[in-house]
Amino acid sequence: MNQRLTEEKSIYLQISQMIETDILRGILLEEERVPSTNELAKLYTINPATAAKGINQLVEAGILYKKRGIGMFVASGATEKIRARRKEEFYRVQLQELLEEAKRLGITRAELIEKIGGESK
Amino acid sequence: MSKLVCENLTKKYGDKTVLDHVNLTLESGKIYGLIGRNGAGKTTLLSLMSNQNPITAGTATIDGQRIWENPAALSRLCFSRELNLSAESALASYTLKAYLRAAETYLPHWDKDLAQKLVDLFGLDKKKKLGKLSKGMLSMVTILVAMASKAEFTFLDEPVAGLDVVAREQFYQLLLEEYTETGRTFVLSTHIIEEAADVMEEVIILDKGKILLMENTQQLVDRARYVTGLADQVDGATAGLPRHHAETMGRSKAVTVLLPAGEDLNPGYDVTVQPVNLQKLFVALCGEEVHL
Repeated sequence: MNQRLTEEKSIYLQISQMIETDILRGILLEEERVPSTNELAKLYTINPATAAKGINQLVEAGILYKKRGIGMFVASGATEKIRARRKEEFYRVQLQELLEEAKRLGITRAELIEKIGGESK
Repeated sequence: MSKLVCENLTKKYGDKTVLDHVNLTLESGKIYGLIGRNGAGKTTLLSLMSNQNPITAGTATIDGQRIWENPAALSRLCFSRELNLSAESALASYTLKAYLRAAETYLPHWDKDLAQKLVDLFGLDKKKKLGKLSKGMLSMVTILVAMASKAEFTFLDEPVAGLDVVAREQFYQLLLEEYTETGRTFVLSTHIIEEAADVMEEVIILDKGKILLMENTQQLVDRARYVTGLADQVDGATAGLPRHHAETMGRSKAVTVLLPAGEDLNPGYDVTVQPVNLQKLFVALCGEEVHL
């Protein structure tokens, strides 16, 4: 929760991603309460409706759930869910971008594989 | 839910039309941002909605009750105006203490404790005359009156104009604190758009006396794209879409596009697409090119 907001992406997406990253890093644990909409609004100086939109996305994705009268909690199994989704996104988006840029620069598949092999040693 | 509704609200000074058939509905429990260039009619709009300026034509109502000279409707409103004091102004010789006492008389829901808390927070001296306060301190006084008024609909005109960065940040925090606790409705006009953008749930853009658009701020920003690349590629990617503020430089072109909801750029063109913040979008919508 100590990251800063940027202008590059919608605020509510940044809020939901920051919470996800905190869950992956073990800053927020499963079955633990996450900051409320109003707390997030004050922390980032944003409208509570925007913070709520970020939270609701995570509720819809089954990452957070609501305990009546208490607040929002991290669902058990959330870490695995986030990891699986980000992995899929990595192959679909980031890897695709990397391959496209390699193609633009005329890097061959063999060169690329050799580099990746070298990196992981 | 309460509603403040303006219908065909019009204001003329002589034959100059400052506000032109403005239709606007403000729902309770939201923070609205009112933005527009100098002379767009922001202050006039706020003053017409709060009985501080007679309406030329049209109506302004709260839950169906006319606002003009109606104490019942007015008790739910507060327009804390920017204090512009010349030395001759009668207000200049008021001490802050006397001014706050007057506010307490006029504003039926006045919160004396909150007023004192803000006097302390801002480090204001109640014995000082208003005429002796700096521009920043006068901004603090208008913010203080708006907050302590506890009015259901509260209008703030350029509340941060004279404030330094730290005090501005304090103001946004204070606004959110008060808003999350009470759910009061706030309308704030500002020229410091980017700073306030994340705080406004809805943005109202006023241009030359007319409402150019009113929309959820995040939704509006999500629809905006800055598209650059070879001119014919940019033209292809943006053909048939609402384009604002195009710039060409040699072979390259840059266009700000406001996508209709649910639509995207035309696919298959080699262009760079970047997000646009509210301030840049505002300039694209309301700015005129400079030709010297």
